[in-house]
Formats: sequence, structure tokens, C-alpha cells
Amino acid sequence: MSLASLTKDWAATSYGFLDASAKRELRRKMLKAIAVPGCQMPYASREVPMARGWGTGGLQVTLTLVNSASVVKVIDQGADDGVNAASIRRFISRVSGAAETWDTLDATIVQSRHRIPEEIMREDQVLVLQVPNPEPLRGVEPNISIARQMHADADYGKLWLTLYEQIVRKGRIMQGASYPAMVNGRHVMTPSPIPRWDVPKLNMAKHLTFLSAGREKRLHAVPPYTRVEPLVFSDRAYQVEDHADLTCRRSGVQGFFMNELPQDGGGSVFEVSDSNLGIKAIDKADGNTTEIGETWYRNGEYSA
Amino acid sequence: MLTVALPDAVELRSNATFEALMWALSRPGDIRTLPEAGFDAIAETLVDLECSAYADTPAMRERIVASGALLVDRIGAADHVFLTSIDNAGQQLAEINCGTALYPDDGATMIVAAAHGGPRVRLTGPGIEDTTEIALGVPPRFWAMREMLCLYPEGFDIFFIDGDKVIGLPRSTKVEVL
Repeated sequence: MSLASLTKDWAATSYGFLDASAKRELRRKMLKAIAVPGCQMPYASREVPMARGWGTGGLQVTLTLVNSASVVKVIDQGADDGVNAASIRRFISRVSGAAETWDTLDATIVQSRHRIPEEIMREDQVLVLQVPNPEPLRGVEPNISIARQMHADADYGKLWLTLYEQIVRKGRIMQGASYPAMVNGRHVMTPSPIPRWDVPKLNMAKHLTFLSAGREKRLHAVPPYTRVEPLVFSDRAYQVEDHADLTCRRSGVQGFFMNELPQDGGGSVFEVSDSNLGIKAIDKADGNTTEIGETWYRNGEYSA
Repeated sequence: MLTVALPDAVELRSNATFEALMWALSRPGDIRTLPEAGFDAIAETLVDLECSAYADTPAMRERIVASGALLVDRIGAADHVFLTSIDNAGQQLAEINCGTALYPDDGATMIVAAAHGGPRVRLTGPGIEDTTEIALGVPPRFWAMREMLCLYPEGFDIFFIDGDKVIGLPRSTKVEVL
């Protein structure tokens, strides 16, 4: 053994920003996350040039996966042109040489804050969700050691109770985003603050999903073809947001998740939340040959 | 302006190796291609000074020491186990670290050379749409032992290596010997 074999030549930066040991640690944890779907795996969460809470968890997973042949799409609440999404996408591309895209069909890696694209993702695609709070039990058990024990015991009674209380108090389940879901019949996970509309897209999906929380230093995964069942009572069906009949005022598409824009003097107008789907619909209406992929929702009904 | 480092050979190899391992584990039974045959690239991709590892050949043991990982002489003390044959491990294999219900991530990763041919097994579980059947050069008693040890979410995860091909088998997969 020589000194040369133990050291590396000096370099100003590492490829893909993260150094080799950070990537190895993430790889080990990502494999364990796949092996136990929905179970939160702790990881070190290195510094990245972005404040914690702005997608550092998702960014670290993406930087571990990315190579120069990757095509990266980053969305923030469905939009590719948000400041956060655009700068994350540009950063990834700069440090890795990966191509950037807005089109879900072209992407190999989709990093997302709080939405899953409307077009069905393929088996070769990876979805990376940014997660602010990975612990579904936090609302009912603030002590993380006890919450860990509850996951070990599959003790989710308190979570069921909060859903029951919502029905008793309000007549319906009030949980909007981060709807708790049972993964592979064993671990309850938070699917990150995606709307209820998006949770069925994770069930028996073709693609691989990583959910990574940089500030909380935990990641979990949903492998392809894995059961993801939102917690529901057998006599109260799971309900997605009532957006099936809304029409986007700009692109005219109907039956997708919408952003509500309140108007002066009351009332609202709506715009499709998956902004690139809207762009493609407008493009198509203009007579261009734009391909819109199969969508999870058809005519406002989930049908995959 | 950011100076962008070009990927070196190690980075390219590790990235491609991990991609193969990740998809192999995500779709148990699928055969993926590693950029390089053998265990070296896998060790390079996963193992460093934060790990403990066991190996059954002197060359691999040397490789582990060079990575900075703690070389252990008992399978039960390792979080990465490299085996050129399941038979080499004998009874010691039953000691393999399966983690705990509190920390399932402590369960070991086993990398073992096994022919992608031989007795047939049927796989079900996450990553498999319905069921899938594969042929693996693994004795039936190994599956009985795995079934006994892998009390989900406790368990260990396996990569079966044949040349530059890899089949992944996470603890979540149910194996039925045909």
C-alpha cells in the first residue's frame, strides 16, 4: 500500500457536486429504501449550495443518480418555470452536463416539489420528490424515538384516529396534501405534500420514486409495482380534489389538477397545474405536432 | 462561474454500477448489466470507511481494506458480505445481520456469485407486477434459511452476480421454490 493508492489528485470540485463518499452513503441508503418500501432511512444530508428546506433532499438524490446522458426535469407545484425549479434544474445541468427539459416524456429524472406530472411515467424514469416532513406520525407523536417504535410495531392507530376525528367534526376528511398512505401493506408513509389527486399515481406505478427530506435527513422510496393505499375507512371512499369539471382558462384542457386564481369581486378562474401539459395543449391547438403522452386521469377520472 | 469537473473513470463506473444495482433491486428477477464483471466495481460503488465488510477471498479482502472499510472475519458483523459461493459461508450465513424492526436499514447487503441458471423459483412482491420466474444456481436450503431470517421489515438484501449480469433480491420479495 502506498500513499498514492490511498489519495486522489486534487480537484476543485467533484463531478455532480457531491463528493464520492457522500454519493456512496446515499447509494447505500437508496438501496435500503428500495428494499423496505415506505420505510424512512436516515442519511447524512450533506451541504449543497441551497438552504435546507428548498429541495436539498431531492437535489442530493438527483445528484447521485445524474450522469451526462441524463435528461432532467424539475417542477415546483407542477410548473417548470418557477424560480426554485429553474435554478435547481440549471444547477444540476451545470455540475453534471445533463440535458434540461420541460417535457415529462423526454425526462429520465423528474425532480418535483409537491406534484406528480399528469402524463404517465415510464418504467425507465425516476421520480424524485422533495419532502419537507417525512414523518407521517409527527402530528400525533412529536417524539421521533417513539414514532420510530410505532413504525416498528406498525402501530398506526393514532393516525386512523385523526382521520376519524376529521370525519366526525367536519363530515369529511380534511387532509388535503401529504395524505398518509400504506406502502406494501406494512409502512405508512407521507407521500410528501402532493395533493390527494396525485396519490393514486404512486400505486402500482411503472416508475421508481424516491422521496427525500434534506432538512430531516431521511429518505424513503416506492419501487415500481408496489401497493400504495391511502388510509381510508371501508365505508368512506378515498376522494380526490373536485377538479374533474374545471377548465384551464389558458389551454382549455379539462379534467386535470388546477391552480385556483381568485378574482377581484369574488369567483375564481383556473389554470392547469402541470404547466407543461398546458403548454403542449396550446401548442397542439396551434397546429404543431406536439406529443401529449397518456395521462393517469382521463376525462377527470383516474384510469391507470 | 462554476468550474465543472468532468467525470473520472471511477465516477462513471460507480454511477453505471449503481444504476444497474438500483434497477435490479427495484425489479427483482430482472437481469441488469454491470459496466464491469466481478465484485470490484460494486465495492467501489458502495463500500467505504463508514462500512464493515466480509469477503471469502484474499483478493476481495485486500480490496475492502483498501477502501477503508472495516474488514471483519464473521459474516454476522458485516453490513456488506461478498461471497464467491453460498456454500463457502456454510452455517455462518445464518448469522447474517438482518437489522431490527427499529432500524431495518441495518440489515446487510449480500453480494454473491451465482449462476443465472439452475433451479427455478417464483418471485412475488414489490417491483413485480404479478409474479415472475427465474432460474438461479442457489440450493433450496438457502431459500429456507432466508425465509426463516427475513422477518419483514427485518432481513438482508441480495445481489446475485453472474459475470457482468446482476439479479437483485430485496428482503420484500417472496420466493417460492418450484
